Amino acid sequence: MTGEVLFSVREVSQKLGGAQILDRVSFDVHDRTRAGQTTGQIIGILGPSGVGKTRLIRIIAALDAPDSGSVVGIQGAPIEPGQVGVVFQDYPLLRHRTVRSNLEVAGIANGLSRAAAQGRAKKLLDLFRLGDRGSYYPAQLSGGQRQRVAIAQQIVCPKRLLLMDEPFSGLDPSALEEVMHLVVEVANMDELNTIGIVTHDIRAAMAVSDTLFMLGRDRTPDGKWLPGARIQETYDLVERGLAWRDDVMELPAFSSLEKEIRQKFKQL
Amino acid sequence: MSTLSTRGLARLFLPNRVIRSSTALALVAFWMATVLTVWLLSPFASLPTPGEVWTALGALWWRHGMGPELFTTMKLILHALALTVAISMALSYATMIAFFRPLVAAVSKLRFLGLTGLVFPFTLVTGGGYSLKVALLTFGMTTFFVTSMAQVVLEIPRVAFDHMRVLGASERRIFWEVVVRGTLDRALDVLRQNAAIGWAMITMVEGISRAEGGIGAMILNQNKHFLLAEVYAILLVILVLGLLMDYGMGVLTDLLCPYGRLERVRR
Repeated sequence: MTGEVLFSVREVSQKLGGAQILDRVSFDVHDRTRAGQTTGQIIGILGPSGVGKTRLIRIIAALDAPDSGSVVGIQGAPIEPGQVGVVFQDYPLLRHRTVRSNLEVAGIANGLSRAAAQGRAKKLLDLFRLGDRGSYYPAQLSGGQRQRVAIAQQIVCPKRLLLMDEPFSGLDPSALEEVMHLVVEVANMDELNTIGIVTHDIRAAMAVSDTLFMLGRDRTPDGKWLPGARIQETYDLVERGLAWRDDVMELPAFSSLEKEIRQKFKQL
Repeated sequence: MSTLSTRGLARLFLPNRVIRSSTALALVAFWMATVLTVWLLSPFASLPTPGEVWTALGALWWRHGMGPELFTTMKLILHALALTVAISMALSYATMIAFFRPLVAAVSKLRFLGLTGLVFPFTLVTGGGYSLKVALLTFGMTTFFVTSMAQVVLEIPRVAFDHMRVLGASERRIFWEVVVRGTLDRALDVLRQNAAIGWAMITMVEGISRAEGGIGAMILNQNKHFLLAEVYAILLVILVLGLLMDYGMGVLTDLLCPYGRLERVRR
């Protein structure tokens, strides 16, 4: 079922160095509900490289202001920096702090007492199977471990919206499966949680999302791109019976939708 | 076996090869022996031999009070270094605030000035003597320290700040974590380089007021009388002291910032 609007991107436009990057991007994210189950939202924002996905993340997270338009949360409340978590592409961490300390500082920065932050860090280290890496520095972690720490750091103080920039890039199949599982787990920690996955990995995004937004530019009749990306398509995967299922990738409907999206993707 | 040795030897001449620490030590020993041999076989008769330098060193140490002179110089360098660190770090971190950026840039540009013309205004301000030497040395090192450290601060990637912002950290905490703590290992590296600059400037600075002594004044006095063995003996002492200080700072950096060593690529 679809409930209240949790956040809205309204007519967001932005130019960069005179070039139109985003052009009136608009979409809403609704609360998805399932009887007897805590169900967070997972949205996939798909788009080819260089289309403005990262730019859109920065605007949603209130790191940059759009030239026009707005991003609002529940009941139209404006979003302030720090309210939206972002797992950036290269998983930045504080290089001078250990893994445990990286988590603790995220808690303290959000007003938790030292003891509370330590408790929360310990819980997350166990949850993310990083218990034996607590005393490691970021330079000692593998790419996958670094990604898990970066995600854990963002949920030390839970945020309603967590955006992940290309979380599936460069992962081997087993690591990819692990991250997909982790994304679902984090989203389902709270009914009002929303994870936004910004990616060009169509298949992985389809497998975990309940809604897909396709960001891309329009073309002229003779095939030339027009400046400024907007939401070209919205796919409600719940409606299509392609969400919340472990075996979703084995369904014929999944394959045919993947084909359809790939075709569309090529034109963006 | 011989193939392995040939391969091992070939690695020393190929780019981007990792070598064992024992091999690295052997290489240092080889180069030192080469330098010593070149020195011993030097055709220049006026160049003192290692033996003459060694004898001069003994005489300087036991009869001319080199120990106390060294202490005077060390005190001066450490005093100036402490002031340089305090002033330069404050200026470098101030690059984060738009108002101070032109000031920091101006201080950095002053590194092109020599100290000679600055003696007079600095004497007026400090009154001369020890204070003048500290001020000149501090000035000289600060201009270089600020140049390097401000660059370190400017090179912090934007994502480092954004990462802390999305965590909900205040701008003050971001400054502390990203700018101050996040660059500590690099600041200590810059400090190492600037200590060397201090040693390079010491002769000039101590030459301004020789009455107070110091190793710089001592070298100038020996040079005036063309006592080359004594000059080289003092240079050797400066080199050893500088290297020891550099090593000590390296150990301190590794102790305070163990993560820095983890990030260095082994070549």
